[in-house]
Amino acid sequence: MKRIKSVTVLQHFLLIMMSIIAIFPLYWMIISSFKNESEIFTSSFIPQAPTWQNYLYAFAEMPIIQMLFNSFVVATLMTILQLSTSLLAGYALVRWNFKGKLLIFTLLSLTWLIPFQAVMIPNYVLINQIGLNENPLGIVLPFAASTFAILSIYQSFRSFPTALIDAARLDGESDLGILLRIILPNIRSTVISLGIILFINAWNEYLWPMLVTKEMENAPIQIGLKSFVNSDVNMWGSLMAATTISCIPILLIYLFLQKHIVDSFVRFGIK
Amino acid sequence: MGSIKVEQMKKSFGQKEILKGIDVDIPDGSFAILLGPSGCGKSTLLRMIAGLEEPTSGSIFINDQDITYSEPKDRDIGMVFQNYALYPHMTVFKNIEYGLKIKKIEKNKRLNMVNKVIEMVELTEHANKRPGELSGGQRQRVALARAIVKRPHAFLMDEPLSNLDAKLRNQMRQELIELQKELQTTFLYVTHDQIEAMSMGSYIIIMNNGHIMQKGTPKEIYTNPANLFVAQFIGSPPTNILSYGDYSIGIRPENMSMKEDELNVNDDYVLTGAVVSTEHLGGESIYCLTTDWGKVFVKGESTWQTPTKETQIAFSKEDVLVFDKSGERVRDVNLVENLLADMKVSNNRREPVVL
Repeated sequence: MKRIKSVTVLQHFLLIMMSIIAIFPLYWMIISSFKNESEIFTSSFIPQAPTWQNYLYAFAEMPIIQMLFNSFVVATLMTILQLSTSLLAGYALVRWNFKGKLLIFTLLSLTWLIPFQAVMIPNYVLINQIGLNENPLGIVLPFAASTFAILSIYQSFRSFPTALIDAARLDGESDLGILLRIILPNIRSTVISLGIILFINAWNEYLWPMLVTKEMENAPIQIGLKSFVNSDVNMWGSLMAATTISCIPILLIYLFLQKHIVDSFVRFGIK
Repeated sequence: MGSIKVEQMKKSFGQKEILKGIDVDIPDGSFAILLGPSGCGKSTLLRMIAGLEEPTSGSIFINDQDITYSEPKDRDIGMVFQNYALYPHMTVFKNIEYGLKIKKIEKNKRLNMVNKVIEMVELTEHANKRPGELSGGQRQRVALARAIVKRPHAFLMDEPLSNLDAKLRNQMRQELIELQKELQTTFLYVTHDQIEAMSMGSYIIIMNNGHIMQKGTPKEIYTNPANLFVAQFIGSPPTNILSYGDYSIGIRPENMSMKEDELNVNDDYVLTGAVVSTEHLGGESIYCLTTDWGKVFVKGESTWQTPTKETQIAFSKEDVLVFDKSGERVRDVNLVENLLADMKVSNNRREPVVL
């Protein structure tokens, strides 16, 4: 009994320590956003003279709301596209037997090993030639299909009971009908979890949007954040204020979809 | 409403040949059973008839129409799966209605049809529940209802009772027999359980290793097995086999009797053996004895007693089945007579011969 108690105490201690490690940077970001310039490098845990100045400056300096909206559009579009392509590809790879299936699957898996930086330039040239610079589509299109999403969906389709699909075929359902009306409702939580991960990934995307967009009005929020820190001047206070604002949508998603988020991290591993 | 005919059906998965030329002709309105051990190809055959699997070669006819390469939905068949395969996200009602909806049957007519079938399988009060809230037996009924509502030419059932407990299985067996009588539709039922096959089927097809071993009524299969496999597969405990040179002599356990002293006129042959174990099943008992010819099972009336001393096991000439080296039944009466004579058995004597 005593041993069990000491084990739980130890467990709780470890959990509390890990929570502090995870939460502290966020806490520091928020309090720093309320500190004035002279206080920003002090180690005080509570701002001595709290100020909205950083927020006012951040809003004055760049179109934060527009950029948040851009981020939202880009992340939503990317998530929808990646989910759609992975559902279709996953279905074809699991359900159909066709020549070259193994080859396609292998190539697909291999693309996961190619770093984005390697294909960045060709992608940039292509987007440039199509004329999708400064356009959310330009940010989204190269990421319309995600190998990670396809392989995740592929795995969950593989474990889907074939008898249900057979029953639907006997009922006269088409392939698309089977995917949308039989499989999808039953793997809903997997798809939602995957969607959340894809959305967060898309929200945090930095390098590619920076290449495609030059104008602040067209860029997602992550690009805007960087503008506070450059070789001339570091506006830490305003950076923290803008970062805090940029976290709000993600925080809201966490609040509303908490159950699914925990599930998605367990299912796909923390990304 | 629907006869099923399969001609020269072959199926391979890669290098592995699962079906090796199957011919089946199931008359309209019969309760046909595909019986065989696991992996014999019976489920594959059923899936090909359903259109869920494409044959490597051969043809399938339903009502004399070649449907070998038709889509499953165009075959006019209802299928019941081993794991029920109910759509988990739909209610009982929606599960049954789904196929009709896809067929674009007009709503009022559709609701009518579904309600009627739900009533028939006694699930009215569960119509709005999801499959997860139902018991195994109820799920099985939903699966049946889903097949029935389409009013198909034929029903295909893939071990539909194997997930139920013994008591429920017995009950469902009776219900299926009644259902088949009521619908007057061809049933093709796959099972590995010979008791299910014997008790339900009007026509049994026994398969092994991708071949058909025998087709016929339960009586034909039981009393007149075509080969060693069928003789041993049907009946519990299986037919006793005594090896004699190139031949195998089979006698069913129930055709043997244990005699302490008197033998009667029908007892042509006698073995002696000692009882090693007994199963008292209530109405009957199964005795396992060791003899000079190997282990022998005898089925007899229950005495609730286990004989301890050596006993005689008697059987008559009529009940002897003889099989050749390849396992085929030897039907040549003279050969059988000679063989038995060879075994130093004479059936002209009044006295039974001790083997």
